Amino acid sequence: MAAAARALRVLPCALHVPSATRQLHTTPACLKTRAARVRAGKGDKMVTYEQAHPPHYIGHRKGWLSLHTGNLCGEAGAAQRALEDAFVRRFLYGTFPGLLADEVVLKRRGNLLVVCALLGRALPPHKLYFLQGYAETLLGHLYKCPVRLELQTVPARVPYKYL
Amino acid sequence: MVTAPRLPELQESLDKALRDAQGSVRRRGRAPQFVRTAAPPRTERMAVDQDWSSVYPTAAAFKAASVPLPIRMGYPVKRGVPPPKEGNLELIKIPNFLHLTPPAIKKHCAALKDFCTEWPSALDSDEKCEQHFPIEIETVDYVSSGTSIRNPKARVVTLRIKLSNLNLDDHAKKKLIKLVGERYCRETDVLTITTDRCPLRRQNYDYGMHLLTVLYHESWKTEKWESEKTEEDMEEYIWENSRSQKNALDTLLRIKASENVRNVTKEELLASEVVKNYRNSVTALKNEGETESNMSQYKESVKKLLNIQA
Repeated sequence: MAAAARALRVLPCALHVPSATRQLHTTPACLKTRAARVRAGKGDKMVTYEQAHPPHYIGHRKGWLSLHTGNLCGEAGAAQRALEDAFVRRFLYGTFPGLLADEVVLKRRGNLLVVCALLGRALPPHKLYFLQGYAETLLGHLYKCPVRLELQTVPARVPYKYL
Repeated sequence: MVTAPRLPELQESLDKALRDAQGSVRRRGRAPQFVRTAAPPRTERMAVDQDWSSVYPTAAAFKAASVPLPIRMGYPVKRGVPPPKEGNLELIKIPNFLHLTPPAIKKHCAALKDFCTEWPSALDSDEKCEQHFPIEIETVDYVSSGTSIRNPKARVVTLRIKLSNLNLDDHAKKKLIKLVGERYCRETDVLTITTDRCPLRRQNYDYGMHLLTVLYHESWKTEKWESEKTEEDMEEYIWENSRSQKNALDTLLRIKASENVRNVTKEELLASEVVKNYRNSVTALKNEGETESNMSQYKESVKKLLNIQA
């Protein structure tokens, strides 16, 4: 009777072992083939030069929107500069609502951060000057470095082609 | 960006538009359209012989309204031309040198001249510089863009000095070369000490000078155990008391003994011409390596030593 119980115990049987489950590892969907690409439409969608060229043309037909030494060999600070760039772009998008005609170009010269923006002409000049001073002072205090805003106005967004 | 005084016709049409807008308040859902005019670009009022360094005094982004050149940049659309400069982001992205024209650089040099001093006239040749300033210190400064100026690579200090400028006798020089090992270059007689173990450049410089001082003083001292220096430790080949000398003298003594010549002492043999020749050729071979002239010299000296003709 005891021998029979021992024999039963040795036989293989389907037991639920919690650690022996099969896992599936997934990443969030990246959609790399659809990044920064404007889909072709009926021919009435106006795109600028920046929007018309997908990312694989960077270095060939497009330049870089942000210039700094962080990505050179042996230099540090690339991640910090990238974070600063992202914040400055959002900040300017909010400071000049509806006025940005194209992407903001950021240049760093030593400590100085030069922000070049193309704006439309919806606001009168004295309001633009106020916003420029406000942005320069606030960004300067936030990042503890001199910030210079170089603004240019265009009558409307410059079309490159119509998709 | 300042609005210029408006032309009379434009002013009239604007006034009319404003009056229409005020009059049509009852028309809901149609906001008055105010067209903002901008001044014509500055390029239209630029003289050909203007002072360009006042348009671009410092490094600045490309401004289409300030640069009177018909530049186009970008990939053209099919059966088209590259986009013009107005609102062209590509021209703004790239760094430009509009602020560094030759006349502008001349002005910079003229302004900087007041801060420059003359090179001392007494140091007019490299030898004089080396004689007065034998130690060369090399440090590197790194420039990068960002909010921090610190770079850990900037703490490295390299010290270079020629040993001929140091007051060393034969023993001290050999001991110093043994102490520094790979840091000494025989061809140029230069000792190079590179320090980077301290966090600051000043500390590394002080450490380097301290190392040089310690090496100099230690190489002049003679320790007790230095007398145990064996033949393997010697830097160059010395013929006296070597196996070659012993073998040569043995052979010559036996030759003389077989010819029954008596009373030939070692000193006489050592002082003789053939043995001196042999000594020179063996020393040259060991110290300088095997060359055509060395080997032929050795051959001649051996033939003379053993008295072999042809």
